[in-house]
Amino acid sequence: MASSRPMLAQLSRLCLSPRISGARFEGARFLSATAACASKGKIISKKEKAGTASKGQNPQKNKKKDDSGRKKKKARTTYKSYDMKDAEMFSLCDAMRYIRAFEVGRPPTSVKYEMAIKLKSQKNGPVLRNRLRLPHPVRTDIRICVICPADSKYAEQARAAGASLVGEEEIFEAVKDGRIEFDRCICQTDSLDKMNKAGLGRILGPRGLMPSTKLGTVVKDPAAVLKDMVGGAEYRERMGVVRMAIGQLGFTPEEMQRNIRTFIEAVKKDMAHLNDRINKELSEVVLSSTNAPGFPLNGDFISADSQITTRDLSTS
Amino acid sequence: MVAVVRRMRKLRALLAIRLGPGAAVLPPEVTRIHMDFAADIHDGHYGPRKFWRNCLPRLKYHNPAVPMTVNRTTNQTGPALMTVHFTSSVAAATIKPDISSTTTKQTSTGPVPESKAGPPTERTEVINMKHRQDSEILEQLLKLTRAKVVRATAEEQREIQEMEEQNARSERDAAMMAEVNATKKREAEILEQARGEVEAMQD
Repeated sequence: MASSRPMLAQLSRLCLSPRISGARFEGARFLSATAACASKGKIISKKEKAGTASKGQNPQKNKKKDDSGRKKKKARTTYKSYDMKDAEMFSLCDAMRYIRAFEVGRPPTSVKYEMAIKLKSQKNGPVLRNRLRLPHPVRTDIRICVICPADSKYAEQARAAGASLVGEEEIFEAVKDGRIEFDRCICQTDSLDKMNKAGLGRILGPRGLMPSTKLGTVVKDPAAVLKDMVGGAEYRERMGVVRMAIGQLGFTPEEMQRNIRTFIEAVKKDMAHLNDRINKELSEVVLSSTNAPGFPLNGDFISADSQITTRDLSTS
Repeated sequence: MVAVVRRMRKLRALLAIRLGPGAAVLPPEVTRIHMDFAADIHDGHYGPRKFWRNCLPRLKYHNPAVPMTVNRTTNQTGPALMTVHFTSSVAAATIKPDISSTTTKQTSTGPVPESKAGPPTERTEVINMKHRQDSEILEQLLKLTRAKVVRATAEEQREIQEMEEQNARSERDAAMMAEVNATKKREAEILEQARGEVEAMQD
């Protein structure tokens, strides 16, 4: 019997503990020869037995027990972070040169630079989450609809702030006809009743466009919210990484530098605002794009031995 | 986030974008390269696409300032052409290409404009890419522009060799593991079958 050996080892280990008397020790030695005596092995408590490699009749059961023994390894409480000392790091211009080569021939407006900031952080606890305005917004072509009476002062302000559609009835009509020509929708507080009566929820709701107080899209002064919305971008930490689109492919290195700096400063500020006990640190900053691999940045703008100028990277 | 080793391994492939077919420095007279071909590969549009995927990134890496654009049409029977724009050597030395997006304006109002012209184009040459392999297209382009091909240095040569060895090793390991996994799976299947028979006997 192949299984007798580990069982014996287990038993003898047990028997060496002071609680078990010599008489039982004999019994255990005896056990090695015959399987019939295995019933005597009941000295082992149930819990211990589960942990041991005792082989029963059902192989499937044994399998499970083995697994549970392995699982005892302590789960880690922080996200893995790597030592970047030996890793290859790039200056911003080098990374951009590679990325632009990877993205050659793609439409420059649809391809985006992306940034991932890896943090040293606990798996539980609060996460970073905020909005910010980049100096050079990535998406500038968002069409925003404001629902308020077309001749009110709010309408004027909203138009000045860059709303593409302003009105009440005509918008309701258009939406019901299936002409949804906007990506965001804001409602002025006084127009809320009218909008609810119009029954837009069934059309706008599934698209996530329906204004609601919870989302902060039903407001007193649409113009103020609009300003944030036009150039604003949201970021949040997921699995210890903050990701955000940071630029269009046509951006120059200087523009990218300004955007990246703003983003990292915002993240740092958020980390400083967290509770004292929670300590987060920047561990890695990676620049990537829609089709390119990720390039860890070393913080330099242009490497010392670079053969290219920033001007070379500024053409589209 | 993808594990760092895997990411670094992938980044070694950057060597492939620096060297290989297409790694060439164009003379300053070349101001722009434009490719026109169909979106699908049928009717001789296979080569142009391969050229775009394989050679153009390398060309762009070594000539970051030259705008290279690709326009893919839905017209499958249409032509597949590459247009190379040349300027005079005097203009190339004096006039610099335009900067794509404005650095002074804080917020641009629209999407970044399509590529703008730099120095005036003096003449254009057209290469017919239809029914051509990507290597043929590259050959023609290099001949037309008299570009300088970039060769690997000794250091890079060594790195390439190292990578090849690594790839060969990983292939060997993968084959070995596949065999081990297959054996495991086979054994599990046999066990499963035996168990089924026992249960059938008990019933």
